Amino acid sequence: MDSSNDDALDIIITNVVATFRTRCHLNLRTIALEGTNVIYKPEVGKVLMKLRKPKITASIWSSGKIICTGATSEDEAKLGARRLARVLQKLGFKVRFSAFKVVNVLAVCSMPFAIRLIDFTKKNRPIASYEPELHPAVTYRIKHLKATIQVFSTGSITVTGTMGSFDFREAIRAMPLR
Amino acid sequence: MLTNTGPVAKLYLSIIDDVIENMRELFSDEGLEDRVLDDLRHLWESKMMQSKAMEDFRKNSINSSNFVLQLPASYSQTDQEVTASVVIPASQSIYSFPRLKNNSDTLATFSLPAGLAYPVQIPAGVTLQTASGQLYKVNVPVVVTQAAAGQQPVSRPTQKVTEWREPAAPRPAAVAPNTTHPQEVEPSSAPAPSVTQPPQPNTNYVPPTEESSLPQQPQDPAADTLLLQGADSPEPEFRLEESEPSPQPEPMNLSMTASPCGQSLDFQTGTEETLTQTAPLKSRDVDDILKQVIEEEREKAERARSLTSAKTDSPSEAVLGLDLDYSYSELSDIVQLDGPAGNSDLEEEEGAPLDENDFLGIINAEAIKALQEGDGSSDGNSISSSSDGEGADELANVEDEDPLNSGDDVIEQDIPDLFDTDNVIVCQYDKIHRSKNRWKFHLKDGVMCYGGRDYVFSKAVGEAEW
Repeated sequence: MDSSNDDALDIIITNVVATFRTRCHLNLRTIALEGTNVIYKPEVGKVLMKLRKPKITASIWSSGKIICTGATSEDEAKLGARRLARVLQKLGFKVRFSAFKVVNVLAVCSMPFAIRLIDFTKKNRPIASYEPELHPAVTYRIKHLKATIQVFSTGSITVTGTMGSFDFREAIRAMPLR
Repeated sequence: MLTNTGPVAKLYLSIIDDVIENMRELFSDEGLEDRVLDDLRHLWESKMMQSKAMEDFRKNSINSSNFVLQLPASYSQTDQEVTASVVIPASQSIYSFPRLKNNSDTLATFSLPAGLAYPVQIPAGVTLQTASGQLYKVNVPVVVTQAAAGQQPVSRPTQKVTEWREPAAPRPAAVAPNTTHPQEVEPSSAPAPSVTQPPQPNTNYVPPTEESSLPQQPQDPAADTLLLQGADSPEPEFRLEESEPSPQPEPMNLSMTASPCGQSLDFQTGTEETLTQTAPLKSRDVDDILKQVIEEEREKAERARSLTSAKTDSPSEAVLGLDLDYSYSELSDIVQLDGPAGNSDLEEEEGAPLDENDFLGIINAEAIKALQEGDGSSDGNSISSSSDGEGADELANVEDEDPLNSGDDVIEQDIPDLFDTDNVIVCQYDKIHRSKNRWKFHLKDGVMCYGGRDYVFSKAVGEAEW
């Protein structure tokens, strides 16, 4: 609708969260002692391993489930996940890279104009929800895209959802602005 | 930095002393000669020197000298004589003895290097001032040495060639024997050696016990005073400064109350016996702050004493006890530099060794990582393409592809330089904190080998970026 300025929008993906499984039990203590760049959190029961190349932080559980966060694109997330699995394999675990799934993608974009939140909310009654005491942004949920959009009064918009990154534009377009 | 090597060297030497002395009895029980033990000690020390983990203590800079020789103005004439007579056998005559003569109008003062090897001959008429500020006027040529074990220290020297005067101390120069705080150690003085603190780095004392020569003369005023070296050393020597020629049999309460670390010491040696008795008291009176530290040392001292009880007589013990005062006063001064807490074990339990090493290595390997950037991107493409191909073959059980291609496609994280560093810290940790990629370390009781040299610390704070 009013997203004529769509093309000029810069949607920047800031975070991609993915999970995968190693299909084998992992000994967290071994990983903590022998791995490089690891933080052991025995109270929670996980090991954080940070990678440099794709800047990624992975939470490793002993069950073999690994959550990979911090990537800037889905491909990077996958690459990082594979690298991580490779590291675990080198540590001696019989790791199989399976069930890689991108769970969440967070993108940010900024409108060149300010937004009047109250009016916006009024116009989009059922879909948008605004609770200024809880959060300073309007939360706009697009069900069919499974995306959540947060609209700030400064014009910044964050989109977080499970869809692919290319769907972000769809989401923003779907949002009636002004 | 230089000043740090002194304490470390002393610490290590005192550790060596401690171990060797404690072993002496065992060795003799086994029927091995003492010579074996001495050989071991020589070997150990020479290896330590060779490794240059710490600088040769003998080469310590002049800054950490034990004491300052002040020549009275009248000496300007007799400079030559003085110089000649003050023969310091130390290999490095760093101190600018001759130089100073020329400069000063009134007083020629110069510092003797800390690494001074005893014995030192001091001509008459010279006023010695220890780092603690105590002044000793030498009336008769004396030889300052480190007494070897079994020497009759203090008590004898009463004949005193020297009379000790206090510097502007509030107390009268007279040996205030019974004053509860006869000893005071000036905060600045490193010299308070502590016999009871074997690990206590005495900046004054370098002395490898082997170097100590038996004092030729009965009176060996310990100009350096507190030469009480490691408690374990069987040669406690270090003649205590004696105040008056006459022995002061009165119990010197070596002031356990000497608790105030900041005061100058003067001990009246005459009372070795009392010293001994008061020795244990001393520890009690020690400042709370240093109490725990001292306790440890004392235990060691006790052991040492028990070991050396046969050899040394009470005076030495008294001397040992005396050192307690110094030790903690010294501790208060140097607590940050040395590991006062009896770091007899060099290796403490590792707190977070991996992290330490990681960061040390990571920082070094940054460049290499950057180089790998280029490789990574190209690999990414190959991986995605291969996985697509594999997807078609997916096994029934596996929900998704299960390639992993055994590392062919996936590049391993090569950080080979990570553990190549020789800089290692072995310590315990108080707190390790991280915010994003900024790390903060609060460490304690550690030894670190940095740039080939060893440093010992009781507290360390660090920051790093990953």
